[in-house]
Amino acid sequence: MARTELPAVAVEQLHVVRGGRVVIAGLSCTVRSGRITGLLGPSGSGKSTLIRAIVGVQAVAGGAVRVLGEPAGSPVLRDRVGYVTQSPSVYPGLTVAENVRFFACVLGVSLQDVDRVLEVVDLARYADTMVGRLSGGERSRVSLASALLGSPRLLVLDEPTVGLDPVLRVRLWDLFAALASEGISLLVSSHVMDEAERCDDLLLLRDGALLAEDTPAGLLERTGTDDVEAAFLALIDEGAA
Amino acid sequence: MTAVIDNPMTRSTRAELLRLRKWPAVWVTVAVWVALALMFGYLFPYLSYRTGDLSFAGDGDTRAQLLVEMLPAALPTVLVQGLPMFGGALALVLGAIVAGNGYGWGTWKTVFTQGPSRPTTVGGSLVALTIAVVGILALTLVLFTGVSLVVAGVESQAVTWPAAGALLESFGGGFLVLEMWALLGYTLGTVARGPALAVGLGLVWALVVENLLRGVGALLGPVEAVTEVLPGTAGGSLVGALIDVSANPNETPGILDVLSGGQALVTVTAYCVGLVVLVLVLVRRRDVA
Ligand SMILES: Nc1ncnc2c1ncn2[C@@H]1O[C@H](COP(=O)(O)OP(=O)(O)OP(=O)(O)O)[C@@H](O)[C@H]1O
Ligand SMILES: [Mg+2]
Repeated sequence: MARTELPAVAVEQLHVVRGGRVVIAGLSCTVRSGRITGLLGPSGSGKSTLIRAIVGVQAVAGGAVRVLGEPAGSPVLRDRVGYVTQSPSVYPGLTVAENVRFFACVLGVSLQDVDRVLEVVDLARYADTMVGRLSGGERSRVSLASALLGSPRLLVLDEPTVGLDPVLRVRLWDLFAALASEGISLLVSSHVMDEAERCDDLLLLRDGALLAEDTPAGLLERTGTDDVEAAFLALIDEGAA
Repeated sequence: MTAVIDNPMTRSTRAELLRLRKWPAVWVTVAVWVALALMFGYLFPYLSYRTGDLSFAGDGDTRAQLLVEMLPAALPTVLVQGLPMFGGALALVLGAIVAGNGYGWGTWKTVFTQGPSRPTTVGGSLVALTIAVVGILALTLVLFTGVSLVVAGVESQAVTWPAAGALLESFGGGFLVLEMWALLGYTLGTVARGPALAVGLGLVWALVVENLLRGVGALLGPVEAVTEVLPGTAGGSLVGALIDVSANPNETPGILDVLSGGQALVTVTAYCVGLVVLVLVLVRRRDVA
């Protein structure tokens, strides 16, 4: 822990303007390596926008984003960063296995890896089912499976647990923990505050600005609250005062 | 499988070919094309030949001519005669859904953050589309050859093969026309970031607007100049040159002799090259929504 390791993501003074409006105003934060960082904030707070800047698909108006030591969006990062978009990015006209195989071809990884990731997200049973016939939660796991292909060092997941039942959600968080223990860094966004306790670190976002960057325990201690939701509200009050 | 040359472009081409091969919508498009081509190329001519009812297509052919056009020697003509109309329209649909679907379902967004660079990814996709176009034309040729042999057999006609050069020319010209329309669809799908609008606009353009403009152009000089460079005019003229439409009074829709064969070839090729460049510039420049 005392090791001064290169952060997985380092954001400095990020400014993003979307549709003529400032969506992120001078945000700085880091995502530590080999840990699960939760990106929490209400709807519209800029979570997806920050994530887009990190994976390099967002035009930024200012600031710097470095991912695994490289500028965000660098070609060398393409094989090292797995990204799951907020709405699942899948072809409904293909089966589950074909969708994942498609991404395996894109990444140039072995097709055997397809079976592995389908096991991991618990979709092996549905390998030959047309994605168009899956539920929303199942579709998002197809996307997640594709992001797990190869050996990504950083996984960026935009609200991967939306629409999942509690059992699956717990399973998914167990999976995240297992991945982190293998040294993979994860940035997971959510607007469900109770998922915060499964994270190692938290980034609390509101109106495009960082409210707090802390561990869950540190956050509760600092605000004198006993859940992250209350801590979030306390921080807003603090800011208003 | 492991021995395949692994460069970024082949990765993306393989991914796209997988997607096209497994995607029912592609096969529906191909099936519609094959059914239409067989119907207009052989079924209807054969029916009017058998019944002696020569009103089909109103093209004033005699029965003997109808038979000649269904025999193997006529393959170079029959292969391309349906291309300007429904061949082009279906190629346009194919191109539009191949490009557009990835935007509609957000898959391009993910692909653009993974694996090869954006121009390489889209380049691979265009290669896959081109392979599909060649494959569809080859499939058509094989089917047509089979049917023309059956016709020759049933009607006890001697089998004379067309000159290889003529067949090659027809295949090449037909490929260019289909490729131009497929690329046009792909460009529309990219600009509209979705298949529905692209397919709709493309079809209205190919089937309605161009024909209206050509109608107006016959009366108005300045409009005529514009219609000469339209894709439909170029494609129709290229096919017209291949099957020598001026010597053949057939009124097959979409086949024209507005441009000379050489002019048409240059225009169609220019469209193909220009559209590829346009697509590559577009995806390079744009934010992926
Ligand atoms: N394409 C766009 N053009 C203009 N503004 C946009 C666009 N997408 C998002 N915004 C704006 O940017 C702000 C942040 O959006 P963002 O999608 O990052 O929020 P979010 O925190 O991910 O929300 P959610 O939890 O609902 O996904 C919002 O106010 C939104 O209106
Ligand atoms: Mg979002």
